Amino acid sequence: MIPVNVITGFLGSGKTTLLREVLRKPEFSDTAVIVNEFGEVGLDHILLEEVEEGVLLLESGCICCTIRSDLRDTIRDLQARAASGAIPKFSRLVVETTGLADPAPIASTLAADPIIRNHFRIGNIICTLDGMSGLATLANHPEAEKQLAIADRILLTKADIADGSQIDRLRIHARSINPVAQLALSDGQWFDAGLLIEEDLNDPETRAQEIQRWFKPDHDHHDHHDHSHHGHHDHSHDKVDGLNSFVVDYDTPIDWTVFGVWLTALLHSHGDRILRVKGILNVRESETPVVLHGVQHVMHPPLHLDKWPGEDRGSHVIFITRGISEQAIRHSLEVFLSAAARATGEAGQVQAVV
Amino acid sequence: MCGLCGLLGLTHWTETHAHKDAFTGAGQRTLRAERAHRTKIVNTILQPVRAKVSDFQATSYLLSTPTGKTAVVDDIQAVWGAYEQVMGRNLDPLDPEYLLQLERSV
Repeated sequence: MIPVNVITGFLGSGKTTLLREVLRKPEFSDTAVIVNEFGEVGLDHILLEEVEEGVLLLESGCICCTIRSDLRDTIRDLQARAASGAIPKFSRLVVETTGLADPAPIASTLAADPIIRNHFRIGNIICTLDGMSGLATLANHPEAEKQLAIADRILLTKADIADGSQIDRLRIHARSINPVAQLALSDGQWFDAGLLIEEDLNDPETRAQEIQRWFKPDHDHHDHHDHSHHGHHDHSHDKVDGLNSFVVDYDTPIDWTVFGVWLTALLHSHGDRILRVKGILNVRESETPVVLHGVQHVMHPPLHLDKWPGEDRGSHVIFITRGISEQAIRHSLEVFLSAAARATGEAGQVQAVV
Repeated sequence: MCGLCGLLGLTHWTETHAHKDAFTGAGQRTLRAERAHRTKIVNTILQPVRAKVSDFQATSYLLSTPTGKTAVVDDIQAVWGAYEQVMGRNLDPLDPEYLLQLERSV
C-alpha cells in the first residue's frame, strides 16, 4: 500500500516550501506529487501532476464526503502509468492542497474508490501554520482552523523570523484546537521529515510511540517549553459553536460491537461536525487493544495491536468536534453501552471514568 | 454494486471482531453467532423507533420498520442511511429525547 500524505495549510503558510525541501531529501526521491496549482515557489520534480478543481457529490453523502473526481482520476492515472512503466514507480504520494481547501474530502476520496483504496492508504495529514501570522489567520479564517483540526502533524513555519513568544502563543493556541497532532518547527530548511511524513500508525516500528503521543503532552523537536498537562490531556474546551477537543476514558473493557454501532450512528448524523476521532480501546474478548482513527465520516480500518503500547490498559478516545459538547458525546455513548449491556445480560459493566 | 467492486471491495470495519483471530477457529464465536450478537445490539438501539434488523443469509442485514417498509444493507454502517431513507427521518444518537427512550426501553 502506497502512503498518501496530504500537505495542507493556509495561503502563504509554507506548504510548497515544505514540499520542495521534502523532495530534495534522498529518502523521498521516489515520491509522486499532486498539487492543486503551481505556486510561486518553484518545484522541479519528475512526477508532478497538476489537478483541476472538480467536486463530485456522493449520492448519499453529506458535503464533507464529496469525492474529488479530479483527484481520483489523477491518482488512478498515476498508478496505471507507474504500473505500465510509463513513469517510474513511486513509493509515496504527496498531495498538496490549495490554501483554502478542506483536506477532509481527500481522505474520503481515498477510502471510497475501490481501486485506489486497494493500492493507497492515507498517511499523515500535515498542516503548515505561519509562525508569524498564524494566530490572525486562525482567528479570521475558519478554513485554516479546520485544516489545523484535521491534521496529524502541525508544522509551525518561519520559526527563524518569528520571535519566541509568537511561537509560544501560536503553539498553545494550535494545541487547544488540536491536542493530538504533533507539533514541529521549521525554519524553511530544517525540519524533522521523518516525524512529519514517515512515522505514522502503519509503521510497525513507530506505531506504539505514535499512539502514546496522542495521549501525552507534546514533545517538541526543537525546544521544550512544556505547556503540558498531567497524565492525559487536560484539553476539554467546550464551546457551543467552536471547536472542542476532549478525551473519553473508560477503564473497563468495552464491547467492540456496541462501540461500532454507536460510532457509525454518530458519524452518520454528525460526521460533518466530528472532525477527528482517534483512540485506543480495551475491548472485551481480546487481550490486546484496538486502535481506531478517522477523519469526519471516514473511519480507517481499525488496527489490532499485538501488544499494549504502555502500562495503561484503559480505553481512551479523543474527539475533535465542531459544536458538539463532551457531555453530549459521553452521555450518548454511556446510554448506548448500558442499554446494550442490559439487553445482552451484561449489566453493570460499563461506567465512564469522569 | 457491480461484481468488480464487490471483488475489490473491503469489509467494513464494523463487520470485524474485537479479536483479530476471530472466525479462524481461535476466536470464541462463529461468524453466525457474531452476526446474531450484532443484530441484537442494533435492535436494542432501534427499539425506541420500533425498527428492526435481521441477518440475511450471513451476507446482508434486512431492516424493517413498523409500517412494513424494508431495506437490505451490507453492513451496520449502512443501517442508519437506510433507516433515514425508508423512514424519512434521522436517528440521532445525540438527541436527548431518543436517549431517554433508549434508557427506558430496555
